[in-house]
Amino acid sequence: MQAPQITPGDESSPATAAKAPGEERDHLGLIAEMTKEFAAANDYKAVAHTALERITKYVGAEASSLFLVSDAGDALVCVACYGPVDITGLSIPAATGVVGRCVVSRKGLLVRDVAKDKDFGAAVDEKTGFTTRSILVAPLAFGKECLGAIEIINRIGGDGLFNDEELVLLETLARAAALAINNFRLTHKIVQQERDRHELELAAEIQRDLLPQPSTRDFPIHGINIPARSVSGDFFDILTLPDGRIWFNVGDVSGKGMNAALLMAKTSSLFRCLAKSAEHPGQLLNAINNELCETNSRGMFVTMVGGLFDPTNGTMRLTNAGHEPPLLFDARTERFTAVSADAPPLGIAPDIAGPDGFPVQEVSLNGGTLYVFTDGLTEATTFGGGMLGIDGVRALIRDHADQAPDLRLKSIAGAVKLPGQSLRDDLTLLVAEDMAVAPLADVDVVAPPEAPADQQIMRIRVPGRADRLKLIRTATEQAAQYCDAPESWIFDLKMAVDEACQNIIRHAYQGRDDAGDIVIDFTRRGGAMVIDIMDFAEPVDPEKIRARDLNEVRPGGLGVHLIKSVCDEARFVPPPPGVGNLFKLTKRLPTKLN
Amino acid sequence: MSYEVTNVNGAAVVALTGDVDLQTSPSVRQKLLESLEQYTRIVVDLSAVNYIDSSGVASLVEAFQVSRKRGTFFALANVSTAAMRVLSLARLDKVFTIHPSVEAALAAQA
Repeated sequence: MQAPQITPGDESSPATAAKAPGEERDHLGLIAEMTKEFAAANDYKAVAHTALERITKYVGAEASSLFLVSDAGDALVCVACYGPVDITGLSIPAATGVVGRCVVSRKGLLVRDVAKDKDFGAAVDEKTGFTTRSILVAPLAFGKECLGAIEIINRIGGDGLFNDEELVLLETLARAAALAINNFRLTHKIVQQERDRHELELAAEIQRDLLPQPSTRDFPIHGINIPARSVSGDFFDILTLPDGRIWFNVGDVSGKGMNAALLMAKTSSLFRCLAKSAEHPGQLLNAINNELCETNSRGMFVTMVGGLFDPTNGTMRLTNAGHEPPLLFDARTERFTAVSADAPPLGIAPDIAGPDGFPVQEVSLNGGTLYVFTDGLTEATTFGGGMLGIDGVRALIRDHADQAPDLRLKSIAGAVKLPGQSLRDDLTLLVAEDMAVAPLADVDVVAPPEAPADQQIMRIRVPGRADRLKLIRTATEQAAQYCDAPESWIFDLKMAVDEACQNIIRHAYQGRDDAGDIVIDFTRRGGAMVIDIMDFAEPVDPEKIRARDLNEVRPGGLGVHLIKSVCDEARFVPPPPGVGNLFKLTKRLPTKLN
Repeated sequence: MSYEVTNVNGAAVVALTGDVDLQTSPSVRQKLLESLEQYTRIVVDLSAVNYIDSSGVASLVEAFQVSRKRGTFFALANVSTAAMRVLSLARLDKVFTIHPSVEAALAAQA
């Protein structure tokens, strides 16, 4: 390192020490110039090195370095330095050493003799072979934050001591640097957000391309997909074989967001690829299941209805893998028939079907229409504020039965998609028509939502441990009996609560016995039993607690499927203060009228 | 929760009793996998199961998959209402071989 020239005569007078040859020390000039440089900097790291060199030479010292608090907050990392030893990248535990003390106290420090300072950590010197004698350090304070610190080491010449005036100078420069670093980080964050948004848009576009083109009006099968966010976990596909038969599917990936979208893309590609060689949907869905199980992790699963339709005679073969039962509607009699699920959701367990694949049902449209939809429709919020439910879906189908199929899909989706508002869940609806018939229908009225009246039944608090699950089940049974829930439902509720608590124990508390409690509130709300299950672990995703993200269910594929199968509603909602996560189960009790 | 393994003419009849839940399913899984090592014919008697959760069902699925790979016999018998409810909600009732009684299961594979 080239040490700066120091005029010998100035050594006795600290205030005017270290005058560069031919010029008086000009603090104000230096501050103005360096502040300007920092402010104009695109990348503070590039400016930092030059700045450190200038300030070191100006003060007349041996070395200097800039430390920043790490992202995790547990370390101080050297991002730039000037001097005989390059310590860039050096990491020291936060709150240690003279630099750590400066960051914690957010005050500048002047250590004239490090040998006498209890905080001085000699470890770095030992590593680098450099000998530190005196230190001047100033915090990179910005608002209430302290981003790190700048230190200058070993005054050269004279008594070798830094003075208070130099400390003030360093503090001033540190403030300018902190501002520049903060600006840089903000800009960087905005750029990153913009990039993420752009990537999400691209993903959404690719995903839209995976959906089939709108069918012409004389085609028997039509579909519609409306994502709740830019990307969707729902999908449908329509694929005509050379012989005129038509493959179709509607699928729903558990969870939301990018994970679900990627699994959706994979599943729909598998469907398209394997459909060409499959004989029937039971074989096809079995093949997809085995493929998904090979690579699927994190407990995500896909429910799917897959069918092979023969438009010449209006018959189809259907396999339902854990999906909402499709409805077969005959407009002449106004009768609905549900096609229940005979196969488990895809991606839960491989190699479970026999050689012929999953069970297949033969369905003859017989002049009727088949509706296949995701729970984004049944669980959609109506204009009245209530949940549409399966009865609401039936009413909408009846109401719009006389419209052309493509318009009918838009009308039904439009009935739950409020203008300018996002859906809570992705919505997909597919219709398969027996082209021979032009249906007609009367109009039915959707029942208005009932006014809720809360009645607290019971609250329990138990340690989140596997050996308390039996207690939880017993409590649930008692609460359900108190609500006059039908005998057949009590088991289901017990199971749903058990599975939800299991997820907390296994995932939120990670199986640790003393990790925390589980609190369960049992409430009767109007005609429904509402069960609030609370834990005190880290929130599922604290960054993203927005209403429509809350269906995000933790891993545990089969358990989640069981919960969703028996509850009218099961989702995360924003927790009250002090609670980690709140998982809300709703089961509507049968009314006497029903 | 308890289990009992009986040797009936060279087949293992694994009788489960009580609640098969997160607390007890690891030992059920262990017992089933052990039986698979010792026997080529296994019948799981679920008549006395009051409750079974997803982890219990997962143990049964795992045993089923192992036996399928080895080409051995694995069936459920005498499935209680509670266990049947969970199996049917999981859509696994059509996946497992299920017999109305242990005797019927043993006769079916003979």
